[in-house]
Amino acid sequence: MRILSIFLYEWKHFIRSPFKIVALLLFVVASIYGLYNGADLYKQQSAEIERLNQKAKEDKETTLSYFDNNEKGPEDRPWVDVTTPFWSIWYTPTYHFKAPSPTIVYNIGQTEQYGFYKEINIYSSPYDADMAKEIANPERIQSGTLDFSFVVLFLMPLLLLVLLYNIKGLEAEQGFLPLVFVQTGSKNWWILSRAVFYTLLVLFVLFGVILYGATLTKVFEANNTAFWAILKDITIYLLFWVVIYFLILKYGKNIISNTLQMIGIWLLITFIIPAAIHQWVSIEKPTNLMTDLIDAKRDKTDEIYEMSDEETDKQLFELYPGLKKTEIALDPLYIEEARSDSRVALVNRAMKTTISKIEEENRTKNELISSTYWFSPLTYFQNKLNHSSKTHYDDYQAYRNNIQNLVDKRTKIMIFDIWNNVKVNKRKYLEYNKRIRLSHK
Amino acid sequence: MNSHGAAHFGTYVFKPVNLLNSLDEGVTSVTGNVLRVEGHVQNEIMHSEASQMQAISRFGKLKPSLLLQYIIPLVLIFLAFNSVSNEKQTGRLKLLVLQGAKPLQIVLSKTVSVWLYGILLLTFVLAVYSILMFQSLTLEILLRTGLFFLSYTLYYFIISAITVYFSARWQNATLALTSMLGIWIIWTIFLPNILMSSAEKWHPLPSRNQFQSAMKEDRAKGLDGHNPADERSLALEEMVLKEYGVDDLSELPINFDGMRMQADEEYGNSVWDKHFGNNRKILAKQKQSFQLGGIVNPFISLKNSSMGYMASDNFHHQEFLLQVENYRRVFIKMLNDKQTFGGSKTGNWGWTEDNSFFRSVPDFDYKPTQISSVFSNYLFDLGALMLWSIAVFFLILFGTRKLQIV
Repeated sequence: MRILSIFLYEWKHFIRSPFKIVALLLFVVASIYGLYNGADLYKQQSAEIERLNQKAKEDKETTLSYFDNNEKGPEDRPWVDVTTPFWSIWYTPTYHFKAPSPTIVYNIGQTEQYGFYKEINIYSSPYDADMAKEIANPERIQSGTLDFSFVVLFLMPLLLLVLLYNIKGLEAEQGFLPLVFVQTGSKNWWILSRAVFYTLLVLFVLFGVILYGATLTKVFEANNTAFWAILKDITIYLLFWVVIYFLILKYGKNIISNTLQMIGIWLLITFIIPAAIHQWVSIEKPTNLMTDLIDAKRDKTDEIYEMSDEETDKQLFELYPGLKKTEIALDPLYIEEARSDSRVALVNRAMKTTISKIEEENRTKNELISSTYWFSPLTYFQNKLNHSSKTHYDDYQAYRNNIQNLVDKRTKIMIFDIWNNVKVNKRKYLEYNKRIRLSHK
Repeated sequence: MNSHGAAHFGTYVFKPVNLLNSLDEGVTSVTGNVLRVEGHVQNEIMHSEASQMQAISRFGKLKPSLLLQYIIPLVLIFLAFNSVSNEKQTGRLKLLVLQGAKPLQIVLSKTVSVWLYGILLLTFVLAVYSILMFQSLTLEILLRTGLFFLSYTLYYFIISAITVYFSARWQNATLALTSMLGIWIIWTIFLPNILMSSAEKWHPLPSRNQFQSAMKEDRAKGLDGHNPADERSLALEEMVLKEYGVDDLSELPINFDGMRMQADEEYGNSVWDKHFGNNRKILAKQKQSFQLGGIVNPFISLKNSSMGYMASDNFHHQEFLLQVENYRRVFIKMLNDKQTFGGSKTGNWGWTEDNSFFRSVPDFDYKPTQISSVFSNYLFDLGALMLWSIAVFFLILFGTRKLQIV
């Protein structure tokens, strides 16, 4: 029997099977629902970013008006003086965003675990309280959003199960399996051809749905390669399940035992193995309560502010050797105030040291998880998709690194201008806006 | 340290993990663990476990709840799907009927026997848990565990009974199996996810920025404790001067700065209550909508009950946050009162308190929420499970009357 005949036969079998048609329709509905969930999140985050950009623009205009009107700052804050580098930089609005990738339509990933915008000042750190995730119902986050990747990773194997479960078993139970083998010549070829038919059917549906998803957030306009990477990963994941189910069908005896084996494997791969890994990782590397960060933020800060002037200068010059030659460094009259404003850089350095330890710990935790990929395909594919849709832990780590770089840059500019006794005017303020924004990727 | 400096220095509260969480972790892994308690602001809980690593499992850790909610019902389906159809195919059903057994009795006894397997597995899990936690068991824990047990037994009855019923009604065991697997998928994977996402859309929470902007706006309408020139601050000053019968702040026997800080704090509290309270109301509405899903899906009722009785649902989480906020208010008021009445004068920011005062500030003492005070929140879930059980019983009662014996 030629492959085309097998496909035609299978097509007839499929359209006469309401159970399979309903399963496929449900899958399509769930996929579209998932895509809309992703698209909604993309739109919400984009709108929020737009709103914040607008706010930053308005804040900047307000500060510019102080220069235009020869004012020092807001009326109700008489201590503010925007002509000093400290207050001028304080009033330079800088937001850093983790802009959503249009491919988030396919996979929300770890997006809901983190914040996606941060207003930066010289006291900021990537682990500030305002880095908390968006306000959401924790019960919904715990049960997971039904995004497209959920449909693919969990429901697609089930759809495939429904489509394939009675291959060979039905013929065996009705007693005409030997006849089929006689007609087709090869048992494996016949099972494989039928499995391939359903694989192509699912692939065709997936491609259509993915293409539709691309129109919701203009995926092609933003990132063409991510689309193909996601399609490739999903295809490999589909083939992975087809191979497993094919082997079960090939060696299986009847429908019931095949179904039980298929659902058993599904349970093992999608539930039990990832859950067991999760449990193991949480025992091996328990949740960090961030006590080191708290200590750095409190005790270390106190220590820095209680340091002698000599020790403070020594550490400041060590951090910024260029400060030694500045105007203020040679002026004992003004150095006290400059020193006081500069201690924040030492606090920032202490925080960075602690943060690097925390991140190293998280890195080893992630390595531990990655080492389980070979026996936990679901974790592997989930994280692959997270990478493609820029919603992986690493993407948020990069976001945190950018925040830290912006804080470093802001602090350095401020300190050097204080020590160089810079008087800020409108032009200088605009330069601050430009310089700090230049590093804003 | 100056007492207002101490208010800014603040303290940290760590969310405690209770004994019950080892059965059902609920929302614990996604809510964060650390909460900063300080003056002027009600912070949000930070540093969740899920934010510290890459993704692993969408269904959480391999906790008893994962086995009890997802795996054991499947085991029951596998045990029950051919329980009656197999008897039909082998002709034993006819024999049993000829010997005087009624179809209803057969179906019910099959249901009970499968159900007992579920109860046995459930009892085993709880027995192991009790042995491991024996020394910490309290009446409250036993009561909660008892309700947890009841919820699962009802759910297992529903699953066992429907599967046996399908097995009895349909000639084909495969059809019974695939139908039940379909129901299991829709109940446990599909509907909870869709309903929870929809509930969040029906009752939307504000975005963080909207939430913070609204609070900032409201906060700006009140007194600013750090700004003596603030209009409302001046009004308070005038009132206090009048009350003490003096003309100048320096003549006051107290420190007006502390009083102003507390007035600022109290205004802030009313703002937090309004906005955080509004969020809590929205979350409660979302929960109610989700609970209604129990009418079409008993798994939703089971999930709610399980987390609720194990004190790990959002309701208990919110209770914890409320306790922390109440503590924050007491803590900050103590510091402000000390600044006001502790002997310093207005404007004396260099005044410091000795360590004995700071040591006298009580630590946060979390009082676990008692089931008696929150039981009403889960009545609907328990009621839905009971109604489902009764409905399934009647389904068997009436559905097996016309049962085909061969």
